[in-house]
Amino acid sequence: MAYLRLISQRLVMTVLTLWGLATLVFIMIKLIPGDEAQVAAGPGASPEQVASVAKRLGLDLPVLQQYLNFLLRMLRGDLGTSVVSSKPVLTELAAVLPSTIELMILASIIGTVIAFPMALVAATYRGKAFDGITRIIAVTGGAMPAFWLALMLQFFFGNVWRITPISGQHSFGISSPNVTGMPTLDALLAGDMVGFLDAMAYLILPAIVFAIPFAAQVFRLLRASLLGVLASDMMLPVRAKGASTSRMVLRHALPNSLLPTVSLMGVLIGGMVGGAILVETVFARRGVGSFLANSVALKDTYAVLGAVMFVGIAVCLVNLVADIITLMLDPRIRGAQFRAGAK
Amino acid sequence: MTLVLPTAAPRRKANFTAYELTVFGVVVALFLLALIGPMIAPADIYTSNMLETLLPPSAEHWLGTDDQGRDIFWRLVAGSRLSLFATVLVVILYSIIGMIVATLATVGPRWVDELLMRITDIGLSLPGLVVSLGIATVLGPSLQSGIIALALTGWPMTARILRTTMRQTMEQPFVEGARILGVSRTRLMLKHVLPNSLDVLIVKWAGDISFTMLILAGLSFIGVGAQPPSPEWGAMISGARGYMSIAWWAVAAPGAAIVINAVAFALLADILQVRRDPSLQA
Repeated sequence: MAYLRLISQRLVMTVLTLWGLATLVFIMIKLIPGDEAQVAAGPGASPEQVASVAKRLGLDLPVLQQYLNFLLRMLRGDLGTSVVSSKPVLTELAAVLPSTIELMILASIIGTVIAFPMALVAATYRGKAFDGITRIIAVTGGAMPAFWLALMLQFFFGNVWRITPISGQHSFGISSPNVTGMPTLDALLAGDMVGFLDAMAYLILPAIVFAIPFAAQVFRLLRASLLGVLASDMMLPVRAKGASTSRMVLRHALPNSLLPTVSLMGVLIGGMVGGAILVETVFARRGVGSFLANSVALKDTYAVLGAVMFVGIAVCLVNLVADIITLMLDPRIRGAQFRAGAK
Repeated sequence: MTLVLPTAAPRRKANFTAYELTVFGVVVALFLLALIGPMIAPADIYTSNMLETLLPPSAEHWLGTDDQGRDIFWRLVAGSRLSLFATVLVVILYSIIGMIVATLATVGPRWVDELLMRITDIGLSLPGLVVSLGIATVLGPSLQSGIIALALTGWPMTARILRTTMRQTMEQPFVEGARILGVSRTRLMLKHVLPNSLDVLIVKWAGDISFTMLILAGLSFIGVGAQPPSPEWGAMISGARGYMSIAWWAVAAPGAAIVINAVAFALLADILQVRRDPSLQA
């Protein structure tokens, strides 16, 4: 029952967070310079047309009424309409979301594969050269501007050495039927190995750009937690019974260090959606991030704010899932710690 | 037998390693460069020189020239004040907001504390870069918008950490003493509790500068921060992106400048953190 209570507390917090975000977005919409109805009606609309659009959008109502209507629209999943394409923001985002998810999944896998062995070795040989060097590499990796790293990798691997494709999602003519919206998965579903490898080649560089800071942060936290567990009293009997170093690290320290690491990975994966704005733009990939960046470039403020709302919801849900996983991994976890897991 | 009475507590020695002194030295040098950069840079970095466009790095132009024939090295030097000081300004602004929120939460009645901390929780769980992008878009693209947007989204972590520390400081005997002496509530907070709680933020500031510099450059790169032809580093990368295939150094150089600054401050944060918590030491 304690689980249910904690999870429902966490759900209430998520709902409050989304309400806070919706309020913020509403305030921002009201702060946009220029007349909302004029923008919606388009340039060159007559005053009568503007007035009728204002009436249709409920802009002639008191602000409080508008705010309530806005919240109701959000509840129905209406994130507004793009002024440029005249399509609902939600429809456009739903079409490109799988592409972003595909990128995030591969990035987290690469990052985890780099970070875990490095942290295990660094913690085992604490104070040795490997530990010192990896610490500096991790700090450096965490301080790389993602968009710049993306540009440099793209230039050298794509333009100069021609190892990977430069930008896009798949080569011309090699494209599987769109089922899931993820080019790699679509190719697999169609049984098309050539298409799969092709899509992977386009995916690898952007995934590496995300994986580097991800690996750096996971490495630092995991190493610190491993050292903490290895120094704790519970390791005394393990050491006394003569367990080997590798057994101490892998069987005893690692399971006890996983919790904070899983929590952090949740936060970092949520944060990738923000980073996608920069990285997807550089690699010209379809996705939530490049949608946001394009809307900024086109000065489509309503689409920007709708996408901000969408990303906020996505990040809150990722955090929620990470917290529930943390909770299920550790029955000891309780109230304050549980809430702190959100960040 | 003589009895030696200690006259004063022996001074604690800092004992910095060569590595730590190097990092401190680099950080000081970066600040000095930002201070004097715009003064020592030649004036022609703001004007076009169409005879010298897109020159590769050479003895005359150490980092080459951009599409307007402007010397990239000197533009970086001149722009370091914009990039570093704007970053520091963002951190100062949101630290002030964080301090105000933490102080109100500590002195205020329980419901104020509860309300402010719930708002802080909400702020913590929102993606900072995305919300900043929204705010900066609404304010209109400029470096000022970027600074305001990041200041408005950066404060929750500071508020959260500071409030916890201030609560602990409140329990200390010297605060009790000051209260018994009849120090007013406001004075107690501003003169005693707040200054004695700030040291938790010092480690955080170094890391924050590193992180904020990356986000601020990112906002300029998307186009909602500083605008070309400003020599702000993110804007320089954004401007040079279009001709990267013929002059890659115009993108590589400003990025390297950002990396040097961000890494220096991240290493500083790492050193300070290990000094506070030696169990992390390598």
